[in-house]
Amino acid sequence: MLKSVVRAVGAAVRLSSATTSTARALPLSCPTLCAPSSATTRPFTRSLWMYSNSGASSGYRPKLFSSNVLNPSLSCGCGGLHTEGDKAFGEFLSDEIKEEKKVQKSKSLPKMSGGWELEMNGTEAKLSRHMAGEKVTVSFNVNNSIPPNFEEEAEQGQQKPAEEEPEIVSSPNFVVEVTKQAAKNSLVFDCHFPEDEMGHGEGEEESDIFAIREVSFQPEGDSDWKETSYTLNTDSLDWALYDHLMDFLADRGVDNTFADELIELSTAMEHQEYIKFLEDLQGFVKCN
Amino acid sequence: MGVVLRNLQKVVPLRRARLRRDVDTLRHILGIQKFDLGIICVDNLRMQQINNTYRKKNMATDVLSFPFYEDLRPGKLPCPLHRDELNLGDVFLGVEFVMKQCQEDSIDLHGALTVVTAHGICHLLGYRHETEEEWTEMLQRESYILSEYNRLTGRHLEPLTKRCTQDR
Repeated sequence: MLKSVVRAVGAAVRLSSATTSTARALPLSCPTLCAPSSATTRPFTRSLWMYSNSGASSGYRPKLFSSNVLNPSLSCGCGGLHTEGDKAFGEFLSDEIKEEKKVQKSKSLPKMSGGWELEMNGTEAKLSRHMAGEKVTVSFNVNNSIPPNFEEEAEQGQQKPAEEEPEIVSSPNFVVEVTKQAAKNSLVFDCHFPEDEMGHGEGEEESDIFAIREVSFQPEGDSDWKETSYTLNTDSLDWALYDHLMDFLADRGVDNTFADELIELSTAMEHQEYIKFLEDLQGFVKCN
Repeated sequence: MGVVLRNLQKVVPLRRARLRRDVDTLRHILGIQKFDLGIICVDNLRMQQINNTYRKKNMATDVLSFPFYEDLRPGKLPCPLHRDELNLGDVFLGVEFVMKQCQEDSIDLHGALTVVTAHGICHLLGYRHETEEEWTEMLQRESYILSEYNRLTGRHLEPLTKRCTQDR
């Protein structure tokens, strides 16, 4: 109780000293919002109306503590807008977070076999391993990593009972960078998971589990793709060369097993980030 | 086009370049370079599903062929009129199944895959082993292919049809 009073006082001071900005937030074109009678039924609009019209400048301070401000069912000390919609949104998010946590397989991320070290930066992940004078890194970002056709299926799945909903799988594009001690540049492979393989399995034209899209030499560790380096596109490539490139990756631990584990890791990361986002969103809406 | 190679499994570490080279050698021996051909490597689970769906045999196996031309006379190459008919079909290799056999018999996986692929391609070319006569005809063709392959590569591979008697 004491805590909320302190917060309310703090809000009153802040708002009264910023009358113009509060007034701007108020929809002035809606006269009923400014009427005192509406304030009794909608404490939120009442409090804004009071702050903008009868704040410190009007010298009418006691009114501030008299009734609704101490009962801030839809208001808090943040100074932001709070609507019935926000309240419903917050409740929805609370349920959603609970559900998502229920289906979360584990709070910790699955381990990659083969001695890969994982480094994370938000939605970006970098796996690296050293082998006999070579460094191999694999980078990916879980943003936009759920195939669009899969999202459509998920939408359709909402019509069905919960247990029939398809599992969401994150299959990000990933970049493999092979660095040799003596070499000036790294050999960089732009790889992806062909969409027809994801979630279907019975397609006529089945693709490999993962595929190389482009190969290029790039300065080591550069996040930007140097456009002046020759880029080998695999669309029109001699297939024998393509197979050698795939074998080259397999020798460095990037094979179908790795690709499968990467999907598991990325799916867990994506889900973790999604829950974190929902929690942040809830905090933002509720203004905790 | 040529050979479309797909590796849909993760149980067996495959050397794609080696497999493609071996398939290309077989195509050269058979004189079928102008035809497209699919080689799809799958695990036991997928092989069992395919075998069950198309042959009503609910078990994994080493090779299943899906010919583009279904009524070819053995040994007669098709004469397609259009470019998109230059296709022989697909051979599904049960690489997990073959690997287990190799482990039991202590033989080289890629050598065994070549034998199995030769058998699968013969099926695409109209050979069968449902009767004694067909079996003999297919064995002869496979023996020829592999003797040529052995001559070109210095290996010592033997036809799969020799072991196929119970599956007729």
